[in-house]
Amino acid sequence: MTNTSDPALNPVSSAPATPKSPSQAPQKKMEQSQSQPQPKGQKPPKPTKPAKQQPPKDKNASTPADAAGGDKLSPAELKKQAKAEKAARRARERADREQAGGSAPAGGQGPNTPAGKRGSDAAGGAPVGSSKGQKTATRRGSAQAAPQGGAAAELKKKQEDKNVAVFGHLYGQQRRNTVAGAGKEVHPAVLALGLQLRDYVICGSSARCVATLLAFKRVIEAYTTPIGTSLARHLTTHLSHQITYLSTCRPLSISQGNAIRALKLFISSIDPSVPEAQAKTSLCEFIDTFISEKITVADQVIAGSAAQKIKDGDVIVTFAGSSIVKQTLLTAFRQGKKFRVSIIDSRPLFEGKNLARTLASAGLEVQYSLINGISHAIKDATKVFLGAHAMTSNGRLYSRVGTALVAMSAKERAGGVEVPVIVCCETVKFTDRVALDSIVVNEIADADELVITQEPHQLTDLPDPAATSQPAPKKGGKPAASNPSVSETTTPKNNGSPLKDWRDTPNLQLLNIMYDVTPAEYVDMVVTEMGSLPPSAVPIVHRMSTNT
Amino acid sequence: MATADPRLSKATEPFDIVATYNDLLRSDPDLTMPIAAIEALVLLLTHSPSSTISETLDLLEKSTTHLKKSIPNPIGLSAGTDLFQRYLITTLQRPGQLGPAGDFNAIRAHLLSNSRLFIRRAKESRDKIATFGRGFVRDGSTVLTNGGSRVVASLLQRAADEKGGPSAVRFNVIYVLSPPKRNVENTTAEPEGLETVRALRAKGVPVATIPESAVAYSLGKADVVIVGAEGVVENGGIVSRMGTYQIGLLAKAMGKPFYVVAESHKFVRVYPLGQYDLPIEQHVIDFKTQEDVDTAKQQQPANASSTPLNDSEFHPDAVDFTPPHLISALITDSGVLTPSAVSEELIKIWF
Repeated sequence: MTNTSDPALNPVSSAPATPKSPSQAPQKKMEQSQSQPQPKGQKPPKPTKPAKQQPPKDKNASTPADAAGGDKLSPAELKKQAKAEKAARRARERADREQAGGSAPAGGQGPNTPAGKRGSDAAGGAPVGSSKGQKTATRRGSAQAAPQGGAAAELKKKQEDKNVAVFGHLYGQQRRNTVAGAGKEVHPAVLALGLQLRDYVICGSSARCVATLLAFKRVIEAYTTPIGTSLARHLTTHLSHQITYLSTCRPLSISQGNAIRALKLFISSIDPSVPEAQAKTSLCEFIDTFISEKITVADQVIAGSAAQKIKDGDVIVTFAGSSIVKQTLLTAFRQGKKFRVSIIDSRPLFEGKNLARTLASAGLEVQYSLINGISHAIKDATKVFLGAHAMTSNGRLYSRVGTALVAMSAKERAGGVEVPVIVCCETVKFTDRVALDSIVVNEIADADELVITQEPHQLTDLPDPAATSQPAPKKGGKPAASNPSVSETTTPKNNGSPLKDWRDTPNLQLLNIMYDVTPAEYVDMVVTEMGSLPPSAVPIVHRMSTNT
Repeated sequence: MATADPRLSKATEPFDIVATYNDLLRSDPDLTMPIAAIEALVLLLTHSPSSTISETLDLLEKSTTHLKKSIPNPIGLSAGTDLFQRYLITTLQRPGQLGPAGDFNAIRAHLLSNSRLFIRRAKESRDKIATFGRGFVRDGSTVLTNGGSRVVASLLQRAADEKGGPSAVRFNVIYVLSPPKRNVENTTAEPEGLETVRALRAKGVPVATIPESAVAYSLGKADVVIVGAEGVVENGGIVSRMGTYQIGLLAKAMGKPFYVVAESHKFVRVYPLGQYDLPIEQHVIDFKTQEDVDTAKQQQPANASSTPLNDSEFHPDAVDFTPPHLISALITDSGVLTPSAVSEELIKIWF
């Protein structure tokens, strides 16, 4: 499931090259969240208390409280504070977890007092951090800005569990909102990558894998072995810091895990007598070959062999935006095959939109619909092409949520005979894990992504058309009559989604699950760079590709 | 390809691979298509004066494509040619005296002797299969089979031979006979498999012959279905003579085990997604109106008199694809495999 066609470029691009121009609000929010660890670190339980007592006037109430705290503490020695930093970070993470997404009391800190301390505190990450603030100005950053202010404070009051019980084990740690608190070992390129991963700027299993490897390449380039240790031993731990940071931004994908494992294996196999410069060069070469062998060239091979399966007159159904499926379809199109593509997409990521645009501008005939319309889209389908996040050892496909539905619709349509389901997947995405359902292993994204939607431009019941159309027929009519309706309709619009206050609404839980598992029976063929396989052959190929 | 053909025919003028292949098939009734293809390629190598590795491989490549193009259904054949090519490449890449650095004449001699060994082993595999598959024919059971598969025949005969031995097997056979290949030369050809029927009856095995239309009717009396295959494809399904797929479907519907007997040299690197995804052109379904029939008749009035209807309605060499989920197990010379193990075997050969 990839959006980024050239992921290689993204992670290393400098911070100002953000995909979206930063808006005002997220920047502000970023400042707040950056300063957030400070007061909390000093007094972990404190921020929650004032919020509890005076929920409606959170901002006003907490500001004096925090300011007072800041006053009390500012005379305290900086030395002691630095010592307490580690414990503070831990406490903050705990607090974050409790809040379940609402970084609420961060709202009103005395901006002056902590600022000075922050400088000393976040010394290493500071310059990067400020630029990173703009990065969050993507979908997710702006999405969170709204509910955090007021809603999260009230959450404290109710303390209702907003985690869906069945998936309770998946919530774990709240995703990182900021680079603050990241260890000083973490390389700036990795800091940037982490936030890009978190914001889905780099999205899709292979893209994430490539981006991680490229970032690690820069880490290795900037790395010097400390005196008294060997590269083979120390670099692994050094990388582990980067990996830990990345995994707090977004859980690592299977492909990332496999790539990291291969890299670590290679590092540990480096002879300690090899000079450092030479070892670093060979490591960078290893990363480059890994990327080209396992992903770039593999993608070309897969696209070539999968395109052979496309015949004239086919109607290809695909789900979301897999880069490898895109490549396959474009390859087949370039071979002069005449076929139609029907893209099924889903909220909240809408990965299929990019795919639809790319294919359409390439000249293909594209139909775009959401997964709600699957039964119609599948009616005239002749083949289904799917991308993969991972293939598990029992032959099941672990992919963007909704994939299983598409595969099932194709298989159940006509007894499963007519619509073959073809999965395009590099072997780097194979795992020796086994997935029996999509509950045990999965990823939960921020539920707020489900809430925020762009209001479509409505022609009816909206102020603008009402104001313009009504006076037109009746010149001197009743403009007054339209006014109340205007005020009625504008209020919900300004409020955004009816679910906006879901955190305060009792008995309401939101679930934004990322993946699902497609049974092996629904998959006819897995196209890999090592050939086409039935799903049952996944473990064999995985064993072979990892051993050699 | 079309441009390469004249050169190719010139190069292989002294040696016609297609004719050799067909001769081999005709001369030895026990020969399967992949083995005939391999044998033809070995003969080609002995006749051709190639002196370098790349020349050899190039010649092999060209002859293979030529052969594949000249045969209407190259699926079974390509299993053999692919295997042979793969074998050659791995032998040539192996380090040592016979590797790329070695003396080419020695390599060639080695290749040829090994290729013969390869062919002999492939022929022996039928016996091996019979040993493995014997246990599937139980005492008192009724076996339903079809076609003219030699492996099935040898398996059944092996089972019948045991009669009176320590593991006396008494079994019945229901043999599905399809209409014979009838062409201009011999209009009185007997259906494929009748020979096996006679051999089995001679051994005292009661055999009933039924037409293809009676499979569903007879399947209730059968305990097990054993069929042969022309090629075993990557997903564990089989490409086999027309009519096997429907037997498979019926066996599945009736809950009868459906076993496929095939040598492992029939494993072919093809991955069909369905009946119409086979890499060959078949015109089994041919829609016609009366007008089309009339014009066809007018065009060839001389030939039409013989058997016009049979020509158009029956395709003796047509094949269908039996998907893996209908197959209970494949009895091969590398053991009894589930369909999903076929891809494992194929991957082992290819990587």
